[in-house]
Amino acid sequence: MADLGVMALLLGLALSAYSAIGVVIGEKIGMAALVVSARRALYMTTVTAIVASGALINAFVQNDFSIAYVADHSNTLMDRAFVWVAFYAGNEGSLLYILLALSVISAISVWFAPKRLARSMPWTIAILAIIQLFYFGVLTFFASPFELLDTVPLDGRGINPLLTHPGMFSHPPLLMGGLISITIPFAFVSGALIAGNYGDDWVDVARVSAIIGWGVLGTGMLLGAWWAYTILGWGGYWAWDPIENVALMPWLVMTAFLHSIMVQKRRGMFRLWNVALLNIAFVLAQLGMFINRGGPVVSVHSFAASTLGAIFLSFMLASLVFAFALFLWRMPQLKSDRAMESFVSREASFLINNFLFLAVMVVTLWGVLFPLFSDLARDVSVSVSAPYFDRVNGPVLLGIVVMMGIGPLLPWRKASARSMKQWFVWPTVVGMIAIGVLIALGVERPVAIFAFGVVAFVATAIGEEWWRGTVGRHRSGDNWALAWWRLVNGNRPRHGGYIVHISILMLALGIIGTNFYQQRTDGALALGESLVIDNYRIEYVDAHDSSRPDRIAQWAEMTIYRIDPDDYKQEISFAKAKGSSGFTLKDSRIRPNDEVIDTIEPWHGFYIDFNMASVRSGISSTVVEDLYVIPRDFLADGRVSLAVSINPLAWWLWASGPFFILGTMVALWPQAAVERRPARKRLIGESEGEI
Amino acid sequence: MAPRLSFAVIEQCALPANPITAILVALLLSVLFALSGCIRESDITLEQRAHQLAGELMCPICDGQTIDGSNAQIAIDMRLKVRDLLDEGSTNAEVKDYFVLRYGQDILAAPERSGFSLLAWIVPVFIVLGGVVIALLSIKSMRRSGLEAQSAGGTSTVVKQKQNDLSDYLAHVDRDLSVGSAIKSDESNKSGDAPSSEKAKS
Repeated sequence: MADLGVMALLLGLALSAYSAIGVVIGEKIGMAALVVSARRALYMTTVTAIVASGALINAFVQNDFSIAYVADHSNTLMDRAFVWVAFYAGNEGSLLYILLALSVISAISVWFAPKRLARSMPWTIAILAIIQLFYFGVLTFFASPFELLDTVPLDGRGINPLLTHPGMFSHPPLLMGGLISITIPFAFVSGALIAGNYGDDWVDVARVSAIIGWGVLGTGMLLGAWWAYTILGWGGYWAWDPIENVALMPWLVMTAFLHSIMVQKRRGMFRLWNVALLNIAFVLAQLGMFINRGGPVVSVHSFAASTLGAIFLSFMLASLVFAFALFLWRMPQLKSDRAMESFVSREASFLINNFLFLAVMVVTLWGVLFPLFSDLARDVSVSVSAPYFDRVNGPVLLGIVVMMGIGPLLPWRKASARSMKQWFVWPTVVGMIAIGVLIALGVERPVAIFAFGVVAFVATAIGEEWWRGTVGRHRSGDNWALAWWRLVNGNRPRHGGYIVHISILMLALGIIGTNFYQQRTDGALALGESLVIDNYRIEYVDAHDSSRPDRIAQWAEMTIYRIDPDDYKQEISFAKAKGSSGFTLKDSRIRPNDEVIDTIEPWHGFYIDFNMASVRSGISSTVVEDLYVIPRDFLADGRVSLAVSINPLAWWLWASGPFFILGTMVALWPQAAVERRPARKRLIGESEGEI
Repeated sequence: MAPRLSFAVIEQCALPANPITAILVALLLSVLFALSGCIRESDITLEQRAHQLAGELMCPICDGQTIDGSNAQIAIDMRLKVRDLLDEGSTNAEVKDYFVLRYGQDILAAPERSGFSLLAWIVPVFIVLGGVVIALLSIKSMRRSGLEAQSAGGTSTVVKQKQNDLSDYLAHVDRDLSVGSAIKSDESNKSGDAPSSEKAKS
């Protein structure tokens, strides 16, 4: 198996080199056959990447511990389903996975590339082949997943215990796939620029491939957050860790791109700007790869063993120089067709939105790099972590949410005062009412109240537009559901965008709730004892063992009661006096108003070979709040030590996921009906999109 | 530049001075002002404060985790120490100083707001303000260059021609899609009004 894998990689190396060189020479000397052959070579690299990945996966299935990578990342006890996870669990395997993803999406996008890009395709293929060549080279010479061991161990070390979670089947592949897929729009646009194809021929293909990559990356990040929330046992879901940041930064820039590309599509403006955004996103993705592979900043996620830092740094710098040299070379040709007409127009609001996204990106980059900067400048190490990023990025992110309410309501070109009044009265009124109601209810934390008001403002703005559009179509005879569906269908990019906006609002609710209103308490319980926090009582009913040869593991059976604080007046006032948020009840006596609402099974395991603990938090989730129980440890005296928190609105974080995916797919779904129309009618179809 | 710019924004904005907008903005600002006075940190229990502080101190032996998130023994001990210090009546700043003295600056999850580290906090403000100013300036320059090109003839007359050709279609679409009288003015603005106002300007 190892030989097959090595040979496949070598063949892929040769093929991608041939493809890159062949396509350029063929294009230069005008030898069409060579160009075609080079294109086919690019398809064949996909085959070699699939064969190499298949060889590695097969080695896992066969428990072939003669291969170092297999011995390091699996053992005979491992659940067979996790072979797929083990495949990309380490440095070498994840590189192979990235290559696999890149070569597959390259082949698909070259295959389906629109005819009108034929002139620039050779250059696009050359760029894709060079990037593949880089990965084939790294996998062949620096990080081979098929390295053999001198002595074959009887059993492997096992998979990293933190990875044995359903989220791991999709989070890493989506995240890595999303990052690498930024290559596709970048290759199309760079190819067009090199070929001197300055028009808007590349807009659709860049937009579609960018949305796919962006959606995949966004879903990957959300799944990662969910994984962290349920398994990492730290009670959070986003830590502004450098590795999270380097995935977020290109995503932010891509988000800006997806907005401003619509301006180019509809109005023929922002060409230069869109190319710049794609370049930045691509270079940031390379930065992500570099920081992931032995970069200079400390992170929980990075592949500790990797020594590829210098190689990936060089590749990142090379792509930076290439992208912006090309940009400067072709800059004079990338003028806008039309001028901006007003500060109060959708174009203008998209531009401001773009700059806010870029601001968050640059600020985040600044935070990631500041420790290095501080080290170099004055030899003092500092840490830059969540409290910093929350503080500096929070307000700008809120500003972006505000723009999300304003931008879509503004018409293209120029808004009139009358239309402004008509569109903005309701959202503003509802936002203010929301703020007023929250204050009247005695909710604390002004910043959060304002943020809730903003969410209400944006939600009303979207609702208003859907409402008016639906009413209009309903009057012309459709029933309500059909009317709404026709509205959405009439302009999928726009309404898909609204669905994504709704998912972002849901995400915002969860972020505001968990950041501003979380309550926490710690405690240790013996069997039969209970921990009380707010109006929950958590009773430790039973303990179970689930140890295996490679781990010591227990889980607790706990019953959750909703309680009436009046029943516990004495204890609560005593706890308050001690400064605690919760307290422990020694007796298991049920008070009059206690009501069983749920049972949870927090799990804690210690993996001996890894010297690493892994937990499954017990979560009792409702729309309003999660009761979140982390088993910190099962103590020698039979007690279990718990960290308990109440995470308000956390449910919304995960509920946003399906809407995010749905909205992305709606925006992506081809407007087949429109494109098949004859040219004269197509004009109508396109301007219909503007409404 | 800054005062001229803000003036430009107001001047070129299509909104006339509108009493309702003004009232709404004033209301919003006053609500914000009222809200800013009512933060009640004192209501928070010592335990909540301990958790907040734990989220602001790094675990010395873990990679990039705070002691709040880590299960390492040293993190557990540090959390207990934080609580002890708070029980003794220390302020948040005193607790942080206690750990900085023993572990150095990098025990803090966010850099201090003084000395060299102040840079970490100031630069983002400039980045954001700079970004917004650049955005406004570029909108302004895009407007100006567009107007100049228009008066000089050039490509944009072709564009204008195209827009006029389109306006029949757009008007048709407007009729098709006019969803209630409410947004009619909006749409006529999108298709019909704008080119004429363009002409007026040139």
